[in-house]
Amino acid sequence: MSISSRLVYLPVAALSVCAPAQALVYMSVEDAQKLMFGEQALTPLTLALSPEQSAAIEKDAGAKVFAGSLRAWKANDGYFFVDAVIGKHDLITYAVALGTDGKVRQVEVLEYREAYGGDVRNPRWLAQFKGKQHGDELRIGEGIQNVSGATLSCEHVTDGIRRLLATYAIAIAQH
Amino acid sequence: MPSPSPSTEIRRARPLLGTLVEIRATAAGPRAPLHAAIDAAFAAVEQVHRLMSFHDAGSEVAALNREALHRSLRVDAQTWTVLAAARRLSQLSEGAFDISIGVHLQDWGYLPSGPGPIPSEGNWADIELLDDARVRFHRPLRIDLGGIAKGYAVDCAIAVLREAGIDSALVNAGGDLRVLGPPQQVQLRHPQNPAFSAHALSLCNEALATSANYYARRTSASGEVSPLLDPRSRRPWLGAASVSVRAADCMSADALTKVVLFAAPETAARVLEACDARAYVQNPLEAAA
Repeated sequence: MSISSRLVYLPVAALSVCAPAQALVYMSVEDAQKLMFGEQALTPLTLALSPEQSAAIEKDAGAKVFAGSLRAWKANDGYFFVDAVIGKHDLITYAVALGTDGKVRQVEVLEYREAYGGDVRNPRWLAQFKGKQHGDELRIGEGIQNVSGATLSCEHVTDGIRRLLATYAIAIAQH
Repeated sequence: MPSPSPSTEIRRARPLLGTLVEIRATAAGPRAPLHAAIDAAFAAVEQVHRLMSFHDAGSEVAALNREALHRSLRVDAQTWTVLAAARRLSQLSEGAFDISIGVHLQDWGYLPSGPGPIPSEGNWADIELLDDARVRFHRPLRIDLGGIAKGYAVDCAIAVLREAGIDSALVNAGGDLRVLGPPQQVQLRHPQNPAFSAHALSLCNEALATSANYYARRTSASGEVSPLLDPRSRRPWLGAASVSVRAADCMSADALTKVVLFAAPETAARVLEACDARAYVQNPLEAAA
């Protein structure tokens, strides 16, 4: 048995021209609604948070409110939310279904955008997604790759869901 | 022969196991059964998360860390499977893989703190696996299955998809992945510029897991740290290399990345041979030398 047959040292000089996972669209908002609530009609809810409510949510969730990213709908048997969170290296849009009891029924990632090396915090990088409708125009088609690499933490999604639940408790359930 | 109906691909992701878990499945026919198979595969990953999360006080890992020093605890067959595989790899690698490193990861801020400091001289050999799926610690320990359970969860999800009759799928838990069915291309991130891929491999009914530092290094009260820890020196590994391991199952691939990082090359090669696995090392510093 030779070491080399089991331990392969790859050259690292070669940089591929393609970025393996810059933007992935998993599903549209409409697809997520359908998956979570079937054919139910959903009613949009207005989430105009007062400064006091925002402060209470931040305190409750221990996570900073990413202004304006949260959207909510009411279904017959629950609530549907779409939110976005910024991590160290990525921006993730996700959907959450809550039951009428306020418990999480399902979480699905809608879009994943990667920007390694600080781009994520760059206002110009973020600006390109402001007000953008979620959907196919950001799909990068055949170039989407399977990627193996160091584990990317998604603590920020967990924080986002905690914040979303606090928002539900403070701004929706009490009304 | 009738021509095969066109195949549908569905790709979904959920935040689980502290990372993004992606399931991509292809089958002929309507979308609903494919979604149902993916739901069931996510449920299998969620079950592993519930049993083996360090963070969740209700998990079996948390219960072991609280109580297994004082009395033997019976664990679920799945937790048992992972603990037994971890023990085998610790034995084979002479401790280069070790799940008893939770206390350091707590000190360095990668895992939530527990109830007070504990001595840290215990190791994998102090975890006794008794008959009847019971577990006992012989020294104060905090185990963390973060270096092996992601791979196991990927295997569980693949098993569910296979049972559901899916011909072609890929499950990727934050870089630890496994392919079901025909060959699929997988990119390896470049260790110095992980937004780019440096190599591509083709996998067919195989798994690939990668360990590297580029996302997780940080500065803590104890200086610069990473969640990759050399179990023998108990020091954080701060190297620039990336190690990927290809094996038949993802649990082995996941744990073996740590064996390759921390064992002597001869030992690593012997363990890889015993597991019929192969490692790919990208080391920018050696390449520059």
